[in-house]
Amino acid sequence: MLNIQDLKVSYDGALILAGVDLDLLRGDSLAIIGESGAGKTTLGLALMGLGEGRVSGRVLLDGKDLTTLDEVARRRIRGKEMAMVFQNVEDALNPIMTVSDQIKEAIDVHRERGDPGYVGDRVRRLFRAVGLDEAKGRSFPHQLSGGEKQRALIAMALANDPQVLILDEPTASLDAVTKAEITRLLRERMENKIALVITHDISTAARLTDKMAVLYAGRIVELGDTQDLLGSPRHPYTRGLIRSSPNMTTPKDLQGIPGRMIHGVSGCPFSDRCTQRIEICSEAVPPLVEAGGRLIACHRGGIVPLLELSRVVTRFGGLAAVDGVDLTLYEGETIALVGESGSGKTTLAKTVIGLFDLAEGEMRLEGEPLVRRDRDFYRKVQMIYQNPKESISHRMTVLDAVTEPLLIQKVGGAAERIEIAKRVLEEVELSTDEAFLKRYPHQISGGEAQRVAIARALVLNPKLLIADEPTSALDPSVQAKILKLLLDIQEKRGLAILFITHDIALARKVSDRLAVMLKGKIVEEGSAGGVTTAPIHPYTMRLLEVAPDLDPKGRGMSGPWAVPEGPTIRAREF
Amino acid sequence: MEDQYGRPLEGPKVGWDIPKATVRAWALLRRAAFFTNYVVAFLLILTLNFVLPRLMPGDPFQAIYGQEALLAMTPQLKAQLIERLSLDQSMGQQFVAYILALVQGDLGYSYYYNQQVLTVILDFLPWTLLLMGTALVLSTLAGLVLGIESGYRRGRSLDKALLASLMFLNGFPDFFMGIVLLLFFGVVFGVVPLSGALTPYSGLEGLALVRDILHHLLAPLAALVLVRVTSPYLLTRNTMITTLRENFVMTARSKGCTEGQIKYRHAGRNSLLPVVTSTGLMVPQMITGALFVEIVFTYPGVGWLLYNSLLTRDYPLIQGILLMVTLAVLLANLLVDLLYLKIDPRVSDAR
Ligand SMILES: Nc1ncnc2c1ncn2[C@@H]1O[C@H](COP(=O)(O)OP(=O)(O)OP(=O)(O)O)[C@@H](O)[C@H]1O
Ligand code: SF4
Repeated sequence: MLNIQDLKVSYDGALILAGVDLDLLRGDSLAIIGESGAGKTTLGLALMGLGEGRVSGRVLLDGKDLTTLDEVARRRIRGKEMAMVFQNVEDALNPIMTVSDQIKEAIDVHRERGDPGYVGDRVRRLFRAVGLDEAKGRSFPHQLSGGEKQRALIAMALANDPQVLILDEPTASLDAVTKAEITRLLRERMENKIALVITHDISTAARLTDKMAVLYAGRIVELGDTQDLLGSPRHPYTRGLIRSSPNMTTPKDLQGIPGRMIHGVSGCPFSDRCTQRIEICSEAVPPLVEAGGRLIACHRGGIVPLLELSRVVTRFGGLAAVDGVDLTLYEGETIALVGESGSGKTTLAKTVIGLFDLAEGEMRLEGEPLVRRDRDFYRKVQMIYQNPKESISHRMTVLDAVTEPLLIQKVGGAAERIEIAKRVLEEVELSTDEAFLKRYPHQISGGEAQRVAIARALVLNPKLLIADEPTSALDPSVQAKILKLLLDIQEKRGLAILFITHDIALARKVSDRLAVMLKGKIVEEGSAGGVTTAPIHPYTMRLLEVAPDLDPKGRGMSGPWAVPEGPTIRAREF
Repeated sequence: MEDQYGRPLEGPKVGWDIPKATVRAWALLRRAAFFTNYVVAFLLILTLNFVLPRLMPGDPFQAIYGQEALLAMTPQLKAQLIERLSLDQSMGQQFVAYILALVQGDLGYSYYYNQQVLTVILDFLPWTLLLMGTALVLSTLAGLVLGIESGYRRGRSLDKALLASLMFLNGFPDFFMGIVLLLFFGVVFGVVPLSGALTPYSGLEGLALVRDILHHLLAPLAALVLVRVTSPYLLTRNTMITTLRENFVMTARSKGCTEGQIKYRHAGRNSLLPVVTSTGLMVPQMITGALFVEIVFTYPGVGWLLYNSLLTRDYPLIQGILLMVTLAVLLANLLVDLLYLKIDPRVSDAR
């Protein structure tokens, strides 16, 4: 049993580990993930008693506080009850000792009396346990491959069957195949131990561990079941971290986190980069508290739900175009609403924005029931349409179109409004010279017009953007640019996007979650990766089959860009 | 195979099948090349020793034997010597005669000692070997241990004290240190003998003799070691500091190795390589050091002999000593190289 209580480490007065609490039992495997410099290695070293900084707090191993022990007693525990494998396989072995001598030493230093037969036997078994050829034991480290060195290091750590095993970036410098082998090996060897896997490689962490803790600037910001946490991150930093790490599960483009991690931010460590911070965030450190089977350190309980729809119904005469939709859209996330025309996507969007009346159900924005659409509402929610003409009047110049919302909201003076408008136009990568600002919609291209529409929607800095087929009228290269732009703005401002499209291939590239709509109902909802690789509803499968596919033998039955053959999909058929 | 610009690549890096026999042949060749260096150097020294006196202006015989020796020599002896060196014959024959003489251990004849040069040198050599060998071993060992301890405690008081005092000692020339030691311990306190390598005509035997020899050795040895210990010490300390930062030291720590094991087995052994090399490189310095110290303490070694032969212009003896000394340096280098192979397995693989 390992209990870590309020563990702090500081180097030259800088607090690098700012109070970590963890409780681990035998059989637990915990990943510590976080970006470089978060203090992951520092944590590992502090547990081993090998760090250089000043340590405070308690590390209890089976109830015995290790931090109070003297160096001699600590040494007895190191490698015996608690072992660590360091990163940088390349020089972690002594270059002038044979590998088996080094493994032998690990056993010898903790043995009371000599019984050479025992040691030899144990070494042999260790070699087998880590899948290393015994003949390699006579080699010197420089004669081994990276994978073999890693195996030797693991053998060394396992030498005395320690209770606690700390692995620092166990697969960092290995190629993909070796990585998979080592991961499998570790998975087996970690059983029945307390294993701590320190890594910035989320996929390794996912394969190796059952629990996961996210470390940010020396504090744990989220802790929970590995699969659960990766599937639905609840802390804004966790989501950012997952979004920025390439993997085979999320189809959405990589997105970063704005800003840079610094230690010693007052209040919430993430507050200087968080897009949903409130006043208290920079004043008080949020405690790590339990919420829905997860531990989260956030004053707002994690990523906040921005728009909550429950059993929403919209009727035209007797027909329910939207028929009992439940959907929650979180801050900074994209939900793609996919379905063919007539499925009720646009009706739903227009109900939210207030163009159609809500017949039944409830809509909440930032927790407040949505009844009136006042000025305040339009500050927070904006919509862009397939045809930019729907957003921009043909009698308005570019500048008028972008400054009008500011005028309506009575923001600043005329000069300031132009200033803001220009900044937003730059953000959407449009020119800000006088000539362009004075143009009318018919004098600019479709792509430019759509950007102007986006600029107009974003100029008030809304929290939610409803985008109804924003790019379907544009050619692919312009479409790609505009979508990238939207994702960038999302990354920077934490903008939530309700993305309405009939194109599931496009949807998976831009959304975190996908909701498939059919006949006014949402028939399937889930992570973009999950829905597109393992669809459940037959209609989703059909949509995927006809989605554009570059490989004729791939999932899509059609050749690249070919018109799908066979019966056309009609919503009525399902 | 081409690179991204379409230029041909040199060849696939992996899976290059070199036949085993080729590998072995290469290894042999490299080893041969390694020894060839030494053979060439050796031949060069021999040739120089042959050519230099003969290039001097005037009578080579005079150049070899010196003015005074010639005057004191009987014509018979002179004729005998000329014949032995084949000085009346062509250069080629002279060289053959010279090599033949060397092979028979004939370095010439010391007129002053009235003995074969080799015999004279061999008479004095043991004392130098004793002095130099112990000084070399002791200063290296002491330098290593002090360097390891000091590097391990970098920045703490012991480290600072050692660093300061050894740097101070290193400032003195050997002979000066010799004079200081001789003055204090020999003259003022009278705890060590003033000269010689043993008490003459004492008839001591066994353990008593050994004690007497060590007693005489003490002061010259101390002078050499005190001055020479600094360079291995500094080298070890610096290497130790870098080595301690290496990852494998952390691995050793995490295994639970004791401080001693970390210091000596892991960091220490890895810091050894440069020190071993420097020991070899110290040999020439040690020789000059020993020479001066022997003179100060009138210690009957080769250094003192060289000094004496310079005073008496015993040219054959001087030449013989110089030949021996250069050979000794060469040999020391060879030993260092061989030792290096033993200590660092990476070097032998690279060869
Ligand atoms: N010995 C030290 N002295 C001073 N500062 C240190 C020391 N070791 C680490 N730090 C600082 O502590 C912070 C955390 O370092 P740590 O090695 O724990 O990060 P990490 O999360 O493991 O990152 P990485 O994955 O890159 O190793 C860094 O800002 C680093 O500069
Ligand atoms: S909302 Fe506040 S407490 Fe939560 S992560 Fe953002 S800054 Fe930290």
